[in-house]
Amino acid sequence: MSTTEAPSNGRHAMGKSMKRKEDARFISGRGRYVDDIVLPNMLYMAIVHSAYPHAKITKIDKAAALATPGVLAVITAEDLAGVGLAWIPTFHGYDKQMVLAVGKVLYQYQEVAAVVATSRAAAADGVELVEVEYEQLQPVVDPFVAKTDATLVREDRENKTNHIYHWEVGKRDEATAAIQGSDVKINERVYFQRCHPAPLEPCGIVADMNPETGCLTLYMTSQAPHAHRTVVSLVTGIPEDKIHVISPDLGGGFGNKVPVYAGYVCAAVASIVTGHPVKWIETRTENLTTTGFARDYHMDVEIGATKEGQVTGLKVTTVADHGAFDAAADPTKYPAGMFGICTGSYDFPIAFTELDAYFTNKAPGGVAYRCSFRVTEASYAIERGMDMLALALGQDPADVRMKNFVKKEQFPYASPLGFVYDSGDYHTTLQKALDKIGYKELRAEQAEKRARGELMGIGLSTFTEVVGAGPSKHFDIMGIKMFDSAEIRIHPTGAGIVRAGTKSQGQGHETTWAQIVAEELGLDPQNLLVEEGDTDTAPYGLGTYASRSTPVAGAALAMAARRVREKARNIAAHVMEAPLDDVEWVDYKFQVKGVPEKTVTMKEIAFAAYTNPGPNEPGLEATYYYDPPNLTFPYGAYIAVVDVDKETGETNVRRFLAIDDCGTVINPMIVEGQIHGGLTEGFAIAFMQEIAYDAEGNNLQPNFTEYLVPTSLESPHWETDSTCNPSPHHPIGAKGVGESPNVGSPAAFVNAVMDALQPLGIKSIDMPLTRDKVWRAIQEATAKT
Amino acid sequence: MNLEWKGHEEVGAAKDRLWAFINDPLNVANCVPDLVEATVQDPHHFEAIVSVGVGPVKGKLKLKIELDPQADGNRMNMKISGGGLGSVVDLLAGADIKDNGDSTTSLDWSGTATMRGAIATVAGRVIDAQALRVITTTFANVREKCASSSG
Repeated sequence: MSTTEAPSNGRHAMGKSMKRKEDARFISGRGRYVDDIVLPNMLYMAIVHSAYPHAKITKIDKAAALATPGVLAVITAEDLAGVGLAWIPTFHGYDKQMVLAVGKVLYQYQEVAAVVATSRAAAADGVELVEVEYEQLQPVVDPFVAKTDATLVREDRENKTNHIYHWEVGKRDEATAAIQGSDVKINERVYFQRCHPAPLEPCGIVADMNPETGCLTLYMTSQAPHAHRTVVSLVTGIPEDKIHVISPDLGGGFGNKVPVYAGYVCAAVASIVTGHPVKWIETRTENLTTTGFARDYHMDVEIGATKEGQVTGLKVTTVADHGAFDAAADPTKYPAGMFGICTGSYDFPIAFTELDAYFTNKAPGGVAYRCSFRVTEASYAIERGMDMLALALGQDPADVRMKNFVKKEQFPYASPLGFVYDSGDYHTTLQKALDKIGYKELRAEQAEKRARGELMGIGLSTFTEVVGAGPSKHFDIMGIKMFDSAEIRIHPTGAGIVRAGTKSQGQGHETTWAQIVAEELGLDPQNLLVEEGDTDTAPYGLGTYASRSTPVAGAALAMAARRVREKARNIAAHVMEAPLDDVEWVDYKFQVKGVPEKTVTMKEIAFAAYTNPGPNEPGLEATYYYDPPNLTFPYGAYIAVVDVDKETGETNVRRFLAIDDCGTVINPMIVEGQIHGGLTEGFAIAFMQEIAYDAEGNNLQPNFTEYLVPTSLESPHWETDSTCNPSPHHPIGAKGVGESPNVGSPAAFVNAVMDALQPLGIKSIDMPLTRDKVWRAIQEATAKT
Repeated sequence: MNLEWKGHEEVGAAKDRLWAFINDPLNVANCVPDLVEATVQDPHHFEAIVSVGVGPVKGKLKLKIELDPQADGNRMNMKISGGGLGSVVDLLAGADIKDNGDSTTSLDWSGTATMRGAIATVAGRVIDAQALRVITTTFANVREKCASSSG
């Protein structure tokens, strides 16, 4: 076994920093992405987009495009209507969305037509020659303006309003009364800007309809291949057995590759009509302007507390901007996702949260960008709120947090907004962070610097996530329960194949899934081949997003392995000629009770399963569909230390410490890598990234020259550590970690900058905290004094 | 993205000659820098294809141009609309013409434009200066070509 550390933790395969099995393929350039797929007689597709954010389409003239050499077809909504595909249901099925613009465009860059040609260049040329005439309409890009219904975005809907839905949970009157009766109260608006997952590989598809077999094969950038297969079957009427979805290597996803996009549908239709494979690969601009964005929540946070600093109540009131369609990626019963986690790590006696969502002339989305559904927004609201409360109290933000944490002995903890937190020890984790970073010394240094007029800040974020959707009694997508699955086949030599309903996009499933199974069976993880992403071979699963893979599929793997082990125990009893009740699993081998020298390994049992199974059914394999009894609740304590240059507004993140508690760790190296990646994304969100629209509805960040991605030059040095409170209900105690750093870090960065600016009386600046925004705030604050 | 410009030219030609010059769509078209092709439709309308290179945005715009001479002969309005490169441009321009009484003419021009799409965003930081260059060059060309034209 290749490991970067000695197997000293007493475990066979888990908890070890085994090098990623998939990396040999990626490092040597042997990764196979959708755009690497080339099929005989393949055609190419490109898309015509609207430059207008809101306009009636008065004419689409295909003639010049069709006259372009190589162009074979131009598809419009009218053509799609002919096959019943002008509209498709959105993620949770409560709304529908245009595939190509039907009658009018609702946001800038909306897809208007698709050009199919014999080459990528010819398709691009054809796009330039599709003439679309528009009659401009007034756009509405601000959800607070959309509330007035002065401009109606969705005339197609029965209800002539931009209001999409109202959602609430908790006790409104009691929470309001508790806050009003408190010694100290804060009421602040925090905005989590519209941002974008921006995976390095954009979306794409090769659709291949075989006219002879009637089988439609879709090679596509999919985080949820089975769900996509079912959706395609439901909306097209093609039997599900005739649809084969293959999601090859993915260059990142972060929630962006969960929804169904216009390019997928048009390519499939083009292949069905032409009988040729059709490839569509997004440009960067298409990815940033049309595919699922994240966040865009305006949140009013109210907290009440005693003068000693004990919280008494919480209210969070949110206005959500969903863009032109309600395409937010949330489970059916949770239109605002798991925003109810907004009580965070704190023991609020009473709480209430409500949310109203609106249509605007902006791209649709609301995907779970590296977070469980809407958890990042909730975490940001409460963590900013707790810092504002500490400021109002005149107390240290660490002290206020310590006073209000849910205590270890309170777990399982029922929050006032309906979640039952499974486990945690928040005090210990924060204390570890404070000690490790030298919090007292930093505060002393800050006092000295403030005396000299220098701006130094320390920001905390002690977040709790809720992940692992989810228990079938509550969680489904379009009616399909959010279980997940695993299938294990052990070969005669003790090697095996492991298949799961998930789909790695860089998380390292080929390694960690092998480690889980190897741990349960005492086998070598190097000889366990992990396969995902092929609907013809993998068991049905809901895919990888919202930190659900390890909490759900990881559990399914462990349970399937235990089924294999139980069957193996029967064969072991036969091989060792012992009663079944006397055969036990000890130290990764079967042993006869009381006879420690009489053992047999799993590898030996694997051979026996095919050569000498005795009275048992031959073979050694199992499948398990895992329906989690609860969600899992990873958490962390993050501390950022920043220096802000008063003259330029430049923020230097001097230190950043992340203490994560994700329960049982499968591979520490991969966890550390996940945390580094998530922190870097959180840093980008806090300081660099926003998909902003001007008043005319222009998307101002349609490419990487405007929507900035941090490199190693900009990224701070990350310090990481952990505590471990395993989930009590998960078979191996794992909680999930990939999204924690993205969830927890933005608030730490912003709290640090606000702490630095506190002597100037600046309480809040909306992300991203660009240097010009910070500089202007400093200038305005200085001018007042 | 909304942009506004204005400027002034002194044309070494009498007012009547300048008026006649700018009432000919082909003349106006030939004053547009980076013109690839112009098609005159009638005395007040022509289509122009111009090449554009603004930051990373490079390609051609297809524009419809309407000349709207005012009856008093002192002002020419111009409406330009079109697009390409995933962008649309709507521009309203006007020029006030004043006889200086010495066989020269003052030309005060102004324009407002609305741009959407890649031109407004990808090239947003430099578009103002680039557009100003195009429009000032156009009127400078009017000055030069009119002054050197026969008549």
